[in-house]
Amino acid sequence: MLRRAGFIAAKDLRLSVGGGQGLVQAMLLGLLLIFLFSLSRPTGELVSGQAAGAIFWLASAFGLVLVFNDLFSLEEGQGCRLGLLSSPVPEHAVWLGKGLAGFALLVISQAVFLPAAAVFLGQDIQGSWGVLILALIGVDWGLAALGALLGALAQGQGARESLFSVILFPLLLPVLLGGIRIFAGVFSGDAASDQGLWAGIIVAFDAVFTAAGAFLFPFLYTGEE
Amino acid sequence: MSNIRILSALTLIALIVGQWFIWAYAPLEETMGLVQKIFYIHMPLAWWALVSFFVVFAASIRHLMTRSAGSDILAGAAAEIGVLLSGLALVSGSIWGRAAWNVWWTWDPRLTTTLIMWFVYAGYLVLRGSSAGGGMGGERRAMVSAVLGVVAFLDVPLVFYSARIWRSVHPAVLASQGGGLEPEMWHTVLVNLAAFGLLWLTLLWARYSLGRAEERAQALLLHGSPDAQGGQAGQGGQA
Repeated sequence: MLRRAGFIAAKDLRLSVGGGQGLVQAMLLGLLLIFLFSLSRPTGELVSGQAAGAIFWLASAFGLVLVFNDLFSLEEGQGCRLGLLSSPVPEHAVWLGKGLAGFALLVISQAVFLPAAAVFLGQDIQGSWGVLILALIGVDWGLAALGALLGALAQGQGARESLFSVILFPLLLPVLLGGIRIFAGVFSGDAASDQGLWAGIIVAFDAVFTAAGAFLFPFLYTGEE
Repeated sequence: MSNIRILSALTLIALIVGQWFIWAYAPLEETMGLVQKIFYIHMPLAWWALVSFFVVFAASIRHLMTRSAGSDILAGAAAEIGVLLSGLALVSGSIWGRAAWNVWWTWDPRLTTTLIMWFVYAGYLVLRGSSAGGGMGGERRAMVSAVLGVVAFLDVPLVFYSARIWRSVHPAVLASQGGGLEPEMWHTVLVNLAAFGLLWLTLLWARYSLGRAEERAQALLLHGSPDAQGGQAGQGGQA
């Protein structure tokens, strides 16, 4: 199954990077958000680490919506979804493949958001890079697990992409709060004392929604229109 | 139909008794005065909202296992009532907060969890309603709603716990309310909890029967069975 999930992920990544619009849109929207939020900073004053963390993760959440909308729209034309469903690839592998591809695209777009946060919001990585990268991976994992599950909502003619974000954002709150809190510590240099608790929440979120995604995805991803 | 009338009558009586307990039986709280009485309405609302969300979860799991239309209708009915009750709980909680702590809103874990759940289930209702605009077909909509009903409830403990940690570092505006209630106050709380429970049951039952009737009407419309007796109470829904 892992190998097949790898095929799906590789196919999606090739399509998204070469010619797909999701990644570019996600990057542009995220950059725009970071820039617009930087306008709220009064001249000569600094943005707090927590505000910068919140803006960074908000940009990532919007990027996530665009990335997964794009990933699931790849199979909407010419009955490709039916083809995928009737191939020997199990639905779980589709979920895992989409999740992996979404994770990779999210990380790529964040590689742009992070310097943008440094430039527009005047932030510096004063804490540990290791903590930052671990938190990034942990939070992105949770975002991708839930995004890959609920992204399948957008399948078929009845798809309402705007609905996806309305449903997704409140569900993401625990893991986003964790990301914001840890990033605030990394930006400002004084690590929060409750970092361990937040790491626990992020891991719990990842575990719950990875299991839920694997179990529930086959119910969502069907041949129906 | 008569059952629901009896239940409605009982609910009305229970609510009146509950009001009597609030205004005549429970003593006036020393520091907060009259405003404290919001609590007797606020708590049952929040409680039964959470129960509604649990019903959505249980009915959604049942729908995923059995694909029965009944559990889908039950989940929809419970979600509507849950959003209504949690919305009212938020409003009453906000008024309480303004009077007691001088802020309309505070990062209290329970308040925050209620608000986030309100958002999630409002989105759930929008999703359910999306079939009306010519979007998803009925069967698919039911399945998608069931998946969301499960995912949403799994999020509740995580939201609550994260809101709690967030607050512990943020400047807390208030300490959590102590549990020093007088016995009379406890009686009032329990009576109102039961009265609102009856109200909840009545609403759920009414909405569920309405959903069932809607489903029957739709089946008749689609299959055009002429043997319907024209009455809303007709049982011939196997068209």
